[in-house]
Amino acid sequence: MNPANSDRGDNELSWPTSTHAARRFIMRALPHASPMDLATGEAEARPRADEPPVLATPSVIEGSALRAIRVAPARGARLESGFLGFLDGAQDVRVVSHADGIPIVWATVSAAIRVRRNRRLTAFPRRAPAISRRYYLPLRYLEELEPAFRNDPRVVDSGRPDASGVIPSRHPAALLDRALQRIQQDREALEQSLTEAWCEEESSPIYVDGSITASATASRSSLAIGVVKSHRTLYAEGDAFRVVVGLDAGERSSVFRVAPRGRHPVASWYVRLRGAAGRDALFGLVRVEAAESDDLTFRADEISRWIIAEGSPLALPDGRWDKMSYGIRDTEEFLRAIS
Amino acid sequence: MSNEPLGRVVATERRPNTPHEFHFWTALDSPVGIGTIVRVDGSNPVNGQIPRVYGIVVEGFSYTDLQSPMHDVLGHDGTPGSAGFAVTERAEIRLYSAAVLRQLPDEPLQPVPMGEVHLAGEDDVAVALRMDSYLKEGARTGIPIGVYRAGATDSTIYLDADFLLGPEAAHLNISGMSGLATKTSAVEWLLASVFAHFPEDKGSIAAVCFNVKGPDLCFLDQPGPLDDRDLEPYEKMAVAAKPFDRVRYFAPYTAKGFALNTLRSNEALLDNVTPLTWGLREVLQYAEVLLNRDDIDAKADALIDFIKERVLDRVSDKDNYLSRDHTVQSFADLEDWFRDLLRGLEKSNSDSWRTHHIATIRKVRNRLSNLSTRCAGLVTDSGVVSDLPFGSFEDRMVYVVDVATLEEDAQDLIFARVVSKLREHLERRDLGVKHLIVFVDELNKYAPSDGQDTYVRKMLLDIAERGRYLGLVLFSAQQFRSQVHRRVVGNSGTSLFGRMDADELATPGYSVLSAAIRTKLATLEKGQLMVRHPHFTQPIFVRFPRPAVMLGRVGVEQFPQAVESGLDVALYRALRPLDHSVTLPWVQKLVALYDEAELLKARDATIRARPASVKAYFEAQFRKVIPTEPAVAAAAASREETRAVRTLPIDDPYGF
Repeated sequence: MNPANSDRGDNELSWPTSTHAARRFIMRALPHASPMDLATGEAEARPRADEPPVLATPSVIEGSALRAIRVAPARGARLESGFLGFLDGAQDVRVVSHADGIPIVWATVSAAIRVRRNRRLTAFPRRAPAISRRYYLPLRYLEELEPAFRNDPRVVDSGRPDASGVIPSRHPAALLDRALQRIQQDREALEQSLTEAWCEEESSPIYVDGSITASATASRSSLAIGVVKSHRTLYAEGDAFRVVVGLDAGERSSVFRVAPRGRHPVASWYVRLRGAAGRDALFGLVRVEAAESDDLTFRADEISRWIIAEGSPLALPDGRWDKMSYGIRDTEEFLRAIS
Repeated sequence: MSNEPLGRVVATERRPNTPHEFHFWTALDSPVGIGTIVRVDGSNPVNGQIPRVYGIVVEGFSYTDLQSPMHDVLGHDGTPGSAGFAVTERAEIRLYSAAVLRQLPDEPLQPVPMGEVHLAGEDDVAVALRMDSYLKEGARTGIPIGVYRAGATDSTIYLDADFLLGPEAAHLNISGMSGLATKTSAVEWLLASVFAHFPEDKGSIAAVCFNVKGPDLCFLDQPGPLDDRDLEPYEKMAVAAKPFDRVRYFAPYTAKGFALNTLRSNEALLDNVTPLTWGLREVLQYAEVLLNRDDIDAKADALIDFIKERVLDRVSDKDNYLSRDHTVQSFADLEDWFRDLLRGLEKSNSDSWRTHHIATIRKVRNRLSNLSTRCAGLVTDSGVVSDLPFGSFEDRMVYVVDVATLEEDAQDLIFARVVSKLREHLERRDLGVKHLIVFVDELNKYAPSDGQDTYVRKMLLDIAERGRYLGLVLFSAQQFRSQVHRRVVGNSGTSLFGRMDADELATPGYSVLSAAIRTKLATLEKGQLMVRHPHFTQPIFVRFPRPAVMLGRVGVEQFPQAVESGLDVALYRALRPLDHSVTLPWVQKLVALYDEAELLKARDATIRARPASVKAYFEAQFRKVIPTEPAVAAAAASREETRAVRTLPIDDPYGF
């Protein structure tokens, strides 16, 4: 997918490339809409929609029970990394106006790969960053919308029934939640397309920020390594909980299988990047996803060391610096600069 | 012209671009540095023309995405050595600020637009520095000052002769620490460049250099060692890599009057060294230089004026006080006149003569008689004058006046009189050349920013402010520009700066320079200069080649200074360069016959006249004396035991 091309429509209006332009643009399509004051905080970027925190039972595939395995010294490790690329996505969501209480959502969704050469990160020359700028509107509640605008492929109908057939109510919060879900899906789609392209065209491992289970290609490729920082689902039910939260810096857990509903199974394990003494239990803890293979233990040890190595230099000032690699922070900064 | 961009212009609200400054980033390995000239190509036309901006880098910044140094400490567990093992290096920026040299089009003057930044090529440099206006074929007035180097660019930087040597602007001032081959070397190179490139249609040009310290300028006609790397810029700038072939040296005698008071007194180099001696007339004209206000009050001043107007070179008739007629032409004559006058006043018990009180007369006698002592070697009792060739100066000739070993009074007197004479002749257009460069080192001594007003300082101010109309151009140098009178340096159209002392750079005069430029000035290598010139809107850094002349310290080793010896050897050394048939025995024979004053007078006359037959001319200066055989024999036997034959009285009817 190349949003740079997909964003070029035949609409007589010039498609916006900024929040201000998006607000002006929608005023022509929906003249009676009330613009948001962008100077106030009302139109600030919206956080991603989060799932509720749950504990899940790990299906261990390395040994019989989940245990801690040391892969690197707790401190002062001088480790190599095999990652060549880093992939991340970003979304910037703004409510630019309201039409009869309906939030008009404008989002910029992007994804990019950065590659490392001579210890410096640069743009990936063979695959341009993917950027998409779209309105997310519940069209069923906006009957007066111009047909040309309504039919523009860059206008996403966030009022359609979801997989369960549920149609969002007119409640502005419900509409906003639904829009955020659609935006998140679009971001994941961009990330997925880039990941799959890498797996098909490249021969070196890539560090993917987040899960790779959405893609059949990535979940089966030995090149894509997903690193999950959020632990809304913690695979640590029962005795495994103590093992996971008790991991020391430089230790990993046994490998277990993750197979979310509607997604693809992968091998997964926890790695503690930094000591959590004096911190919360999940400090410096990431969950790694990789394709299942016959040499799981070797792969898990090797990949774990790579990920620990990627913890330097620190990703500060990002608030998630304890779990984030510098390559992913660089990719996020890159996306922020170009989108 | 370089097409590959090496940077991009950036501007933020906090650090916007202006019409005079812009910012750009480059790759980490770009050849940009402080002083690099760059070109910005805008992207949006203004009045139908794509704007093009030229700038010079004046400040540089480097930083990473690190928010706090503490983050780096934490990231490497407080172990600096482990930083080298990080798999990734932080994103890093090279950000530069550049001062605008020129914008095209000139109007409307707008902030520098976003655009690509290119390393300026040779043509760009010419346009950026507005050199294109004076390097046009047919109207070329460029004088090469050095080579600007950046990346692959190797560009000759030219000064505009109209702004260096007049009439539009003029004068040049050089500042720099001593001992780093900046000031003297730069002047030697620049004189060679001026002589090679000064346009023929602008007339003749010469230089008068005052050698004020050491042997700096004593060997301008001797070759210095140059290697291939030195020769390259000479070739590029079309200046012959050879010493000055037309140099004349002038130096007074030592106090004894036997040898020249200069470090260039080696016999092998004396053929273009001329004594500098003045008599009463020359000194009285500039008595103000030597006699300060504490010495001379209004009454004394009036008597000196009277002597200048009514006594000097005139016959003072015998009167009630003067016992005989006097013709005062030398310090000796003046002393006779004073002695006779005071004796007459005392004899007649009178306390004044022509309204001048006897005390004033005694005071003036004391001060004037003292002059020949204070400036012994330069001022002669006898009134013999040997001077610069005012009126017959030659094109592309360097005249070096060596005052390095003289007392301060004598230095001031020489400086004041020579410059005044040059000015007089240039005003009358009869100096012999149309333009004259006067080089003075240690300007902070001659034109200090503080202290009492002196004749020399007033004269330097006069040259600085009005000299360019006459064709009199001041090239001056000093270690500390801040200690020189601001009107002297302020009137210098062109300024050169070598490596500077940090304390000097901290003075207000340098506050217009960025911190990075000041840092660069404090660390300049030998042969590097910062140039300010009326056509350049910002200072430019250039390299100039090693001068093709012998270094002073090398010269004094290769050509040791002649040891001051006896009168016979001194005469031999003085006459031998004029005529190689002169021998020491021949000189010794004459020394045995005549007294010292006569011999020195004859020597001065011979050197001044430079006759075809030196020996005959020299001998003709003496009255005929028939020596006795024993005297001649004694002279031949032992120079040490030689005694002059007593000279005959002038009125001896039996003398020949």
